[in-house]
Amino acid sequence: MAGPLAPERTPDTTVDEESNLDRPWVTIVWNDPVNLMTYVTFVLQELFGYDEKTATTLMLQVHHEGRAIVSSGPRERMEHDTSRLHAYGLWASFQRDS
Amino acid sequence: MKPFRFRHGDVVARLDPAEASVLGLLLDQLELLLEADADDVAGDPVLERLLPAGHRGDPAAAADYRELTEASLRSGKADDLATLRATLPDGGGEVRLDPEQAAAWLRTTNDLRLALGTRLEISDETEPPEDFADDEDQQLAVYYWLTALQGSLVDALVAGRAARK
Repeated sequence: MAGPLAPERTPDTTVDEESNLDRPWVTIVWNDPVNLMTYVTFVLQELFGYDEKTATTLMLQVHHEGRAIVSSGPRERMEHDTSRLHAYGLWASFQRDS
Repeated sequence: MKPFRFRHGDVVARLDPAEASVLGLLLDQLELLLEADADDVAGDPVLERLLPAGHRGDPAAAADYRELTEASLRSGKADDLATLRATLPDGGGEVRLDPEQAAAWLRTTNDLRLALGTRLEISDETEPPEDFADDEDQQLAVYYWLTALQGSLVDALVAGRAARK
């Protein structure tokens, strides 16, 4: 029934939005020249309960690649994780996983 | 300075009188900055580093985040500052910290390093000063002293964590 008043099918954006919803949010720690490597490792263990090996690997990724994803999940939790990292002075931000 | 060590569940260090007084002055400056009128310090790079944007590239998300978190971030820093004031020996001497106090020292000494490091534009290539010819050399020396202090605190807490296992 395609009369003049029939609703037009909305284009593909709905599909895009749905797949967007499936993509998790992430918390990223960025490299900075001040924070000590031992400190970053310590804070990652303290806040996320990572073992020393995992925390060290993430710290080295931050150091060498400039950034590392340290957690992922719903947006609210990533905002919370970001604020916990900010409380310790780590350079962190949250975003949708790309 | 006698750097931090892990001792019977606490971490312990000893500060010279001059070191305790420098640290006290730095705490005053950090407090002034954090309590400054927002208009007076708008765009200050140190404040932007201490209270960073939560989202890069989406100003609305960054503003939401700030609205949600900045007050508690600021009050956490104020509580930490108060803990340091209460545990910093006037005129130097022993600093003995339980785990909660140690966490406050860890965060605040890091904020001081971030503040000085941002002002001095520290990079991966920056080296400790060879003499103290000018103000900047002296500030750089303070930065490296804070680095040694905080580094020893991290090591002591790691040692404490290993001892609890």
